[in-house]
Amino acid sequence: MGEWWNKYGDLIGGAAALGLLGGAYQDLGDLGEEARGYADTLADLQMQQTAFTPYTLTSATGGQFGASMGPDGTFQTTMSISPEEQAMQQQLFGGATGFFDQAMLDPAQRTQEIFGEMESAMQDPMQRQRLANEERMAAQGRLGVSSNMFGGMAPEDFQMNKAQQEAMNQAYFTATQQAQREQAQQAQLGQQYMGLGYMPQQQLLQALQPGLTSAAQQQQAQLYGAGLFGESTMSGIDADLAANLGRSNLLGEAAAGMLAGIFGGGN
Amino acid sequence: MAQEIRTINLNAPAFKGINSEDSPVTQDTAFAEVADNAVIDKRGRIAARKGYSVYTTDATVLDPGGSGDRDSLSMIKEFKDDQGNKKIFSSGNDKIFISDPLTGLTTLTDETPAGYTITDNDWKAVSFNNKIYFFQRGYEPLVYDNATNDVQVISALATAGGTANVHGNEAVAAYGRLWVADFENLEKSRVYWSDLLIGENFTSGSSGFIDISKVWPDGRDEIVALAAHNGLLIIFGKHSIVVYKGAESPTSMVLADTISGVGCVDRNTVQNTGTDILFLSDSGLRSFGRTIQSGSMPLQILSGNITKDIIEATEQEKTLVAAGTTIPSAGFRTVYSPENNFYLLTFAGQRLTYCFDVRGTLENGAYRVTRWPSYQGTAYTETEDGDLLVGTIEGLCKYGTYLDDNATYTFKYLSPRLSFGDTSRTKLLKKIKPTIIGANNAIVALKWAYDFSDVFNSTSLTIGTSQEPAYFASDIDAEGASQFNVNKFSTGVNISRLNGNTTGYGNLVSIGLEATINGSEFSVQELNVLALMGKIF
Repeated sequence: MGEWWNKYGDLIGGAAALGLLGGAYQDLGDLGEEARGYADTLADLQMQQTAFTPYTLTSATGGQFGASMGPDGTFQTTMSISPEEQAMQQQLFGGATGFFDQAMLDPAQRTQEIFGEMESAMQDPMQRQRLANEERMAAQGRLGVSSNMFGGMAPEDFQMNKAQQEAMNQAYFTATQQAQREQAQQAQLGQQYMGLGYMPQQQLLQALQPGLTSAAQQQQAQLYGAGLFGESTMSGIDADLAANLGRSNLLGEAAAGMLAGIFGGGN
Repeated sequence: MAQEIRTINLNAPAFKGINSEDSPVTQDTAFAEVADNAVIDKRGRIAARKGYSVYTTDATVLDPGGSGDRDSLSMIKEFKDDQGNKKIFSSGNDKIFISDPLTGLTTLTDETPAGYTITDNDWKAVSFNNKIYFFQRGYEPLVYDNATNDVQVISALATAGGTANVHGNEAVAAYGRLWVADFENLEKSRVYWSDLLIGENFTSGSSGFIDISKVWPDGRDEIVALAAHNGLLIIFGKHSIVVYKGAESPTSMVLADTISGVGCVDRNTVQNTGTDILFLSDSGLRSFGRTIQSGSMPLQILSGNITKDIIEATEQEKTLVAAGTTIPSAGFRTVYSPENNFYLLTFAGQRLTYCFDVRGTLENGAYRVTRWPSYQGTAYTETEDGDLLVGTIEGLCKYGTYLDDNATYTFKYLSPRLSFGDTSRTKLLKKIKPTIIGANNAIVALKWAYDFSDVFNSTSLTIGTSQEPAYFASDIDAEGASQFNVNKFSTGVNISRLNGNTTGYGNLVSIGLEATINGSEFSVQELNVLALMGKIF
């Protein structure tokens, strides 16, 4: 048997070693596939763990902000303000519309309106001036004076008419400036009202900040937990893979030793 | 028992002119009941007025129909420009005439513009800035200057503005402008003033007008005449007067004073004497006082001694004017002659002239006045040389001789009723002994009447021939040299002391004399009346 062993023992030993190597090789291949399967499973789990959670925030004044996923997977947000805020917003927007309408009117029309008011206000003083002038001229016997130097009127009449006309011109100029100032003021008021109209929305958004932060923190914790879960799971998988890898390595080393003993003895 | 002959010596009789207002019984003997064709001479005596000599040679242009019934000149005005050109303009017989004494043009040359129809002769001529303008209500004004040497309508001048509004009847040149008023239309209260120094421009430049319809003190009036005096513009209405000061700048002139109840009858009666303005009102001849500058306007009735007479004459003349009386053209004509010291007021339609002596006023503020009945003068002007030109039916005449165009005229004086200091006694006039100065060969009729009779007794006396002024050479030695540089001349003036016997008797006596003025001056130095005082009446 010794000789046979001697003759055939190496062959048998070599075959066993090759068998062990093949087994180790096969175990390593299986181990990779098993690891990949674990990773896929872990990914699926972590996808579920890190999925967006819809939420709704409500401000102190009754405004609400909601975030959700739509049926098509798109991210959707909704925002609403309270009825009181909505009423005020409508009022402000209505006012802004009115101011903008005023601002967009032809300034000349407003100039005429202002000038008409100023003219009415100036009419009585001018009439008093005319009467005083008339009385003075009557006392001086000059009511009937007509000079071609002064456009067919008395110098006093000419001067007074000139002064009054200059005052009217100044009034018209002032009315023009006033109309322009009013136009700018209307536009400014429109802007202010429009801005105030957005105030409930802005306040809602501002009120949402703490809630959004909390949601973000929650999301972050969720992601962190998913990360820990993944790492833990991956550690187990790694350990399992390492054990299997060691076993395969052991088999491989054993097979290698056997092969070395068979073919390295010089017989 | 024989009575003493009382002597009344009337020195310078009628020295105070006519007085028809006061009671003839109590009148000052210095007044006269009648002083016809008389003036107060330089020595304060009543004297015969001067006559006139015809200055132009052809009066046929004054004959409208060739019948010899000639119109009399109604306006005379001397025009002299800065180059020394002198013309005499006159109007009458619906024409405007020109005469040129310097060039010997002694005819009345018709200068009426061609195609310019005149039917009235009430022109007012005004010299202004080397032109002479003619104004008459309803007529476009006419103008003449030596450059064009033609009378033409003012619209023909290149510098004329619209002239439709200045067809006025009254115009004065004052303060560098022409002032026009009294229009044919309803603008009876407007005074237009021309552009500065452009008398034909009333529509541009500094021209203008003033309507004083709201200024009349009595509510309403119509402008009759204008006058300028001491920076004042005096606007005469029919019944009121409005005075503006600061008229040098018409656009700023102001009312200075108004006078109600006194107006001007006719623009031709306004005469500026340099220190005063005379005008005829409905109540007689008046003047602004010399205190006009102080703001008050004391008016004096200068015809106070003949108030009723002058009012009557004024009313009658206004009636004649309203009736459009022509040949001669009725109207008021006046002249102020500083050389003769009188203001003549002629009622042309009545051929009646009053002569106011302007040297001074009497105690009652009236001028001494005499009357020139039937005087032919119907237009006057005082020339720059001091000549008084008189317009008559003979044409242009010159005041200065003692014949009316070679015709004699009658001087007449009647005293007021004289009582010789005792109204209770009958007077028997014995003699009238006048002292007459001048009067060459004149026949003097002494007149007297008793009580209030208008029938005068009369006796005629003839004055001797006046001696021509003679030269006495007694002071010249044989060589013909004056010994004492004194030459002697006779006066050549008759001094006649006449003596006329009178008859009759009465309580009050009126005496006087009439003289035919025949080329010589005539004045009454004094009248001595000798009367016998009779029984108590």
